[in-house]
Amino acid sequence: MTPKILVVEDEELMLKALQFRLGKEGYDVFIAKDGMQALKLISETQFDLVITDIMLPFVGGLEIVNKIKSDPETKDTPVIVLSAVGLEKTVMEAFQLGANDFITKPFNLSELSIRVRKNLRVPVTK
Amino acid sequence: MLTIYTYIQELFTERLPFVPSNVKASLFIILFCIIAFTELYIYIGTRRIKQWFEGKRNKKYKEIITNMLANIVVYDDDAESDEIIAHFTPEFKKLPLKNSAVREILIKELLHYHLNFTGKTADVLKGLYLQLKLNKYSKRKLNGRWETQIEGIREITQMWLKEEAETILKFTDDENSQVRMEAQASFVKLSMDNPFRFLDRARERILDWHQLILFEVITKTKNVEIPSFSPWLSSKNDTVIMLCLKLINHYQQLDAMPELIRLLQHANLHIRAKTINILGCIEAEMTEENLFEMYFDQPLEIKLEIIKAMGKIGSGNYLEFLTGRTYSENFKIRMEAMYSIKLHGITGIELLENIYKDTNMQNQVIIKHVLDERIVA
Amino acid sequence: MHSALYFVEQFFSDAIFIYALVVMVSYVILAFLSAIEMKSYLRKNSYVDYRQILVSPNAPSVSILAPAYNEEATIVENVRSLLSLHYSNFEVIIINDGSKDKSLETLIEYYELEVVDFAINEQIKTKPLRGVYKSKSKAYSKLTVVDKENGGKADALNIGVNVSSKDLILCIDVDCIVEQDAILRMVKPFMDEGKRVIATGGVVRIANSCEIRDGRLIKVHMPDNIVARFQVLEYIRAFLMGRMAWSRLNGLLLISGAMGIFDKDIVIKSGGYNHNTVGEDMELIVRMRRYMHDHDLRYKVVYVPDPLCWTESPSDLNILSRQRNRWTRGTMETLWMHRELFFNPKYGILGLLSYPYWFFFEWLAPILEFIGLITFITLAIIGNINWEFSMILIGMVYFFGVTLSTLGILLEELSYQQYTSGRDLSKLLLIALIEPIVYHPLTVYWALRGKIDMITGKKSWGTMTRAGFTPKVAKSA
Repeated sequence: MTPKILVVEDEELMLKALQFRLGKEGYDVFIAKDGMQALKLISETQFDLVITDIMLPFVGGLEIVNKIKSDPETKDTPVIVLSAVGLEKTVMEAFQLGANDFITKPFNLSELSIRVRKNLRVPVTK
Repeated sequence: MLTIYTYIQELFTERLPFVPSNVKASLFIILFCIIAFTELYIYIGTRRIKQWFEGKRNKKYKEIITNMLANIVVYDDDAESDEIIAHFTPEFKKLPLKNSAVREILIKELLHYHLNFTGKTADVLKGLYLQLKLNKYSKRKLNGRWETQIEGIREITQMWLKEEAETILKFTDDENSQVRMEAQASFVKLSMDNPFRFLDRARERILDWHQLILFEVITKTKNVEIPSFSPWLSSKNDTVIMLCLKLINHYQQLDAMPELIRLLQHANLHIRAKTINILGCIEAEMTEENLFEMYFDQPLEIKLEIIKAMGKIGSGNYLEFLTGRTYSENFKIRMEAMYSIKLHGITGIELLENIYKDTNMQNQVIIKHVLDERIVA
Repeated sequence: MHSALYFVEQFFSDAIFIYALVVMVSYVILAFLSAIEMKSYLRKNSYVDYRQILVSPNAPSVSILAPAYNEEATIVENVRSLLSLHYSNFEVIIINDGSKDKSLETLIEYYELEVVDFAINEQIKTKPLRGVYKSKSKAYSKLTVVDKENGGKADALNIGVNVSSKDLILCIDVDCIVEQDAILRMVKPFMDEGKRVIATGGVVRIANSCEIRDGRLIKVHMPDNIVARFQVLEYIRAFLMGRMAWSRLNGLLLISGAMGIFDKDIVIKSGGYNHNTVGEDMELIVRMRRYMHDHDLRYKVVYVPDPLCWTESPSDLNILSRQRNRWTRGTMETLWMHRELFFNPKYGILGLLSYPYWFFFEWLAPILEFIGLITFITLAIIGNINWEFSMILIGMVYFFGVTLSTLGILLEELSYQQYTSGRDLSKLLLIALIEPIVYHPLTVYWALRGKIDMITGKKSWGTMTRAGFTPKVAKSA
């Protein structure tokens, strides 16, 4: 089965890039432009991986991590947190809440692909 | 209708000399207002119409451009950057780049994308920018008005046109402070040799805001050769000292220690406070005695900084001093002292528990507060 | 008898005419200053990358203080939108001002709150505290909820100041809709002025009929309700033209209670909010400014014109009249409390320009307008009136008012252009045409009532329980 990935990001261009990129790599990509939409999707669909920005409208990324990790149904879903550089405190908070991985912007797309595969436990070599 | 017209005409011509002065003034004000009002309407209206047409066109191109750009990221990891650039360039060349509005959209989106990615994606984006000769337009902006100059500097910086570093340098002396700051930040990024030349020259005050930007640029830019900032600590410009203190702290430059100790006597309160703060952050145990000796002559802000620094250093040599502070009359000092004791690990927590047993009610609350992980996030 | 009447008529018409001219000239000057200030603000900030403040460890720390009174229906959502604001070093302090509904319980349940032993440094005297709550969950570590006995907004904010552990305080109405980058934009002036900035004030915009989802503004619309629509015009004029100009002169006397950032240190030193007035927001600024003057400190109060805070405004005339009544009383009380500022050169612009302006134009204008109207009516009844000339005089005032409003709309068009649809713009322009005849007389009446109420002491002052705030329109439709 194709792994389902949810991308939560409020910047149009970034969202599109991730959507196209991950789509091309053969994942089933879902998108949410804000935290509210994301929470709704999470409650409806069982995702294999969630990639979320920290700064989001309505509901922040940290709260999304918290929601996923505190619900027994979804607590095993890997979460990759995406954020601008420099928020070391936020990185720690994200990990404390149970985030599995952290990527700072700007980032390398190839690296993202590898991290996605690693968190999905798909063999890294294609 | 005609009668109104004749009435107004008569009022403003034949009868005008005979009306009282206040009515006369009113008539002129009314006339003026009506003219101004009509012009405002016409201006607002035409502006809206123009905007509508432009908006429609821009939206169309923006959609096209973002889609084209988003497609770039779907390259094959094995493909060479050059191949990818060569593959996409013809498609972008089809855009009407002669049109400045379309060109500006493309530049803006390219820069925005470039800002978010590293590695091959960034290389490809820069390649496209150069292939489409957009750098020519960015450089042209340097001759414009100051806002345009800033835009140009920014584009050149974000695309890493290192060969333009010397061009940018001349703007670091610009009389406009906004341009100056933008150029300084840009120069740090682009200059290969001695990017901090501008600090020697800076005579003007560097506003906190500009310090923040410069700090961000300096610490976030990769491959900037970081010098020892301690020579600038003897600068006559207090704001240069402040900026360098922040940088010394960030890079944990211990070689600045003698200079830092000297700054403990600096006349500027903010510099003293920042210096003490840094001594704490770099856990400079050997300065504890200096801090202790100066403590009693200092104003409250500095006292608090000293207590905090002693907590961060956490050597345990001054636990008795800190315990003494918990009897201070000042709430803030007591609270800070408790925090600092807590920072001494298990010894500190045990000490707090001991203090708790025989102290007053308010101090007990402070101790509970300090030890509560829910409060101290 | 006849000559006496003639004299009275002459006197009034001349005096009022000259007063009107002075008012008009000052408005023109203010409009001009606003345009300059707006232009320089926009030029200065159009290239700012606010993300850099966001990630910087050197940005000042901010406590958001939001008093809540009976907000049960929307409180969870409001708090969540405050917590998701874009800023790194900040905390949110909700002060439950003795709500009679289940505001506190709702918060406790949703945010997993627990009572903690919080050591409060009582720098400003307040009513007793019932408890401080923090969340068990790390996700809400930025949130502090303070429960206290009801004591009014000023008292609630004061307790917030005592609890705050940051350098700046952002005072806000909990039911406002705040833009995500509001803190970033309002904090910037604290860093980029040569002088010490003691406060920055934000704009309040009207959210009626706007599309709002989950406590956030999605799309701006012109209110359907006519009363609210008048206020849109009024707010544009007041914020974009009035305050912008006063900011240029560094003579701002009022920062809206719905949105302002203050230097906590100066707030504490000048004694915090005063709970003996209904105009606590204006009074605090005046007192902070006086403190700075009294201590010979150079300072600035800055105004940030970006539309950052949206609020549901009264669409009912009764509620609006009560609000205006309160504003008038607040202004009067503040002016009275600080009467020694009047033309006092020691206080610079504050004493020589701002205070007299408020006194002569904001305070005196409604009274004079009313007297003018009464005189006109009396003379008309007696029959001793030159109708033609009177109409010309009234026409002048009308056309001037309309032109000024249109100028305000132009400023809005050139700066933020929030009302993007052509229909909304034409509605706004139309409103400007009828505002001087329909809405303005009402505001004059309310202001007058406020003054009378204050003088007769009809409204109780001492206990200032908050009541009758804006009606809660379902925000998450």
